[in-house]
Amino acid sequence: MISSPFIPRVPLSSSSSSSSSSSSGPVMLPYLSNYPRPKRNDFKSRNLAFMPLKCIHNSRFDSSSESDARLPSFSASCLTATEATLASSDLVADRLRRVVAEFRSLPEPIDRVKRLLHYAALLSPLGDSARAPENRVTGCTTQVWVEAELDKLGRVRFRADSDSEISKGFCSCLIYMLDGAEPEEVVKVKSEDLADLNVGLHGKAHSRVNTWHNVLIAMQKRTTALLAGSE
Amino acid sequence: MPSTLLQLCCSAMETLAPKLPSLKVLNPSSSSSSPSCSTARSSSSLRAGLRRPFSLSISASAVREGDPAVGSVSLGHVTRTDFPILHQEVNGSKLVYLDNAATSQKPTAVLKALQNYYEAYNSNVHRGIHFLSSKATDAYELARKKVAAFINASESTEIVFTKNATEAINLVAYSWGLSTLKPEDEVVLTIAEHHSAIVPWQLVAQKTGAVLKFVNLDETESPDIEKLRQMLSRKTKIVVVHHVSNMLASVLPIEEIVLWAHDVGAKVLVDACQSVPHMAVNVQDLDADFLVASSHKMCGPTGMGFLYGKRELLSAMPPFLGGGEMISDVFLDHSTYAEPPSRFEAGTPAIGEAIGLGAAIDYLSGIGMQKIHEYELELAKYLYENLLSVPNIRIYGPVPSGNTNRAALCSFNVENIHPTDIATFLDQQHGVAIRSGHHCAQPLHRYLGVNASARASLYFYNTKEDVDDFVRALNDTVSFFTSFK
Repeated sequence: MISSPFIPRVPLSSSSSSSSSSSSGPVMLPYLSNYPRPKRNDFKSRNLAFMPLKCIHNSRFDSSSESDARLPSFSASCLTATEATLASSDLVADRLRRVVAEFRSLPEPIDRVKRLLHYAALLSPLGDSARAPENRVTGCTTQVWVEAELDKLGRVRFRADSDSEISKGFCSCLIYMLDGAEPEEVVKVKSEDLADLNVGLHGKAHSRVNTWHNVLIAMQKRTTALLAGSE
Repeated sequence: MPSTLLQLCCSAMETLAPKLPSLKVLNPSSSSSSPSCSTARSSSSLRAGLRRPFSLSISASAVREGDPAVGSVSLGHVTRTDFPILHQEVNGSKLVYLDNAATSQKPTAVLKALQNYYEAYNSNVHRGIHFLSSKATDAYELARKKVAAFINASESTEIVFTKNATEAINLVAYSWGLSTLKPEDEVVLTIAEHHSAIVPWQLVAQKTGAVLKFVNLDETESPDIEKLRQMLSRKTKIVVVHHVSNMLASVLPIEEIVLWAHDVGAKVLVDACQSVPHMAVNVQDLDADFLVASSHKMCGPTGMGFLYGKRELLSAMPPFLGGGEMISDVFLDHSTYAEPPSRFEAGTPAIGEAIGLGAAIDYLSGIGMQKIHEYELELAKYLYENLLSVPNIRIYGPVPSGNTNRAALCSFNVENIHPTDIATFLDQQHGVAIRSGHHCAQPLHRYLGVNASARASLYFYNTKEDVDDFVRALNDTVSFFTSFK
């Protein structure tokens, strides 16, 4: 089976307070409205929150931007005061919870794929040089590329891209969760945790074409290699 | 209420049409399915009807015995009642299964044969003297005879059971290839071969120093058989070609290729995975030296394939795998080997699966391979012509014409939409099962300048309605992705 952004169309008990969007409504980032606004005086993050969606997801693969290292490039809306004070381990878990909550709030499969396509649009494309064979994620039916780098604070910065819009959406979510995290936290995430995302998995099976699983494993392998290299 | 009546009407059509002449007008084989039924198809009561077609379902064998009314009912409508799996909903929609080139569904007759084997006479073969073992051995060897008769092998000992067609090709590569090929010898293949027909020969070429030579496509997007002919020489030791392409839907003239190959002293291995399930294949007419096929693509169980090899070739070939069953005598320092086919069937074989394959062959033969082939040619044309209506579509392989028939499958891409995204949406929004990816034919995709394609592949239990549903769903899918951009 292919990796799918849907699961069967059954009502889901939402674990989120965010509202369910209709299939005809505009694609929104629920946490833009449902999470507290940043309290700290971070003009950069606040400005990002009001930028057009297409502009938010600027790639920040620049390891010199130390101040941004813990700030996921996924969306400025994630830059809440709560998150700013979380330890790295809490950061990844918190982001995972948010993504799970968001997709669980969408009972209609078509809404979940729309959301994925929306996130795909937020992901900056990789240049041709980064779309190199050594960056390919193996095992996907689509082409997926992942780049990883340690920044000056020793955190892992990820970039990813795909020739499939749905796979790109998966990548976008994974980058939101893992970009800027401590390497130890990246390797700790289990693919089973992603099953709760209610998107991209048929049951909890590990399909060889499961993009969630394959991209996560690729990110973890690259992280392990970076750690080994830095030692 | 009118809607209920409509639902009943359509539901009845699905299950009763083969028996009711008065429903001829609703027969979708005329390619103009009733719009009202299309509308009602999404109703829940209809779905319930589809999930549990009531017991009046008519088996292919019953129909063959001759109800005059069935003359106007397509083979697909008649036979789909034999396949319980087809009558279900997937993701809230009626299942439209169009991934038959990957694997076929199994009729009740095959399911029953498997169940009966395990319930009534499961036992190991060839070595027991008790009743059950004797019965299992008889059934296992009867299945070999059925396969031999199905492809017209001259004797059943020319049939080796393998776990799939891939293993059958590996058997030839490792046994015949390793013992025969020398440095500079040539193996001729086409770029349209399945990976399972390429990789074993790469491995053997690396060990022997033999050279692989590949034939490209011609302007019709079929393998260039003139180039293939020119490529043959005394250096050629074996030609490894598909019969029907799993991506291009093209059909190779195996008889001619065999003649040319034999002229230069080369053997021919035919990958018949996409032909044996769909048409009458006669190995003696083809004069092929080796031919492989797979049970699960022809209504049989998985875990079962077969190799046909000419008796004199198999007899001269060394074993591939060692173990029980394939030996004559075992000493501590050496062993002597059984005659084919046992020589190549080390260990306990897939007994139930072989018996299931035998049941599948009975089922297919009951319908008639010529009838299946003719119906699929009609479906192939219908699929190709209707797919062309989808905007910005590119269908791979030859254009059907008077002289060029295509198999009932289409690999395609729609501009700017990834085939996996298409397949995902078709599955989840429309219950349509197609394949996406490289279909184990990466060199061919590379040649065509694409990384992946989508593929819809039909079998005799599909109908023109299935094609209509698929094309409608594909148009919706294209609209969705286009609008989102």
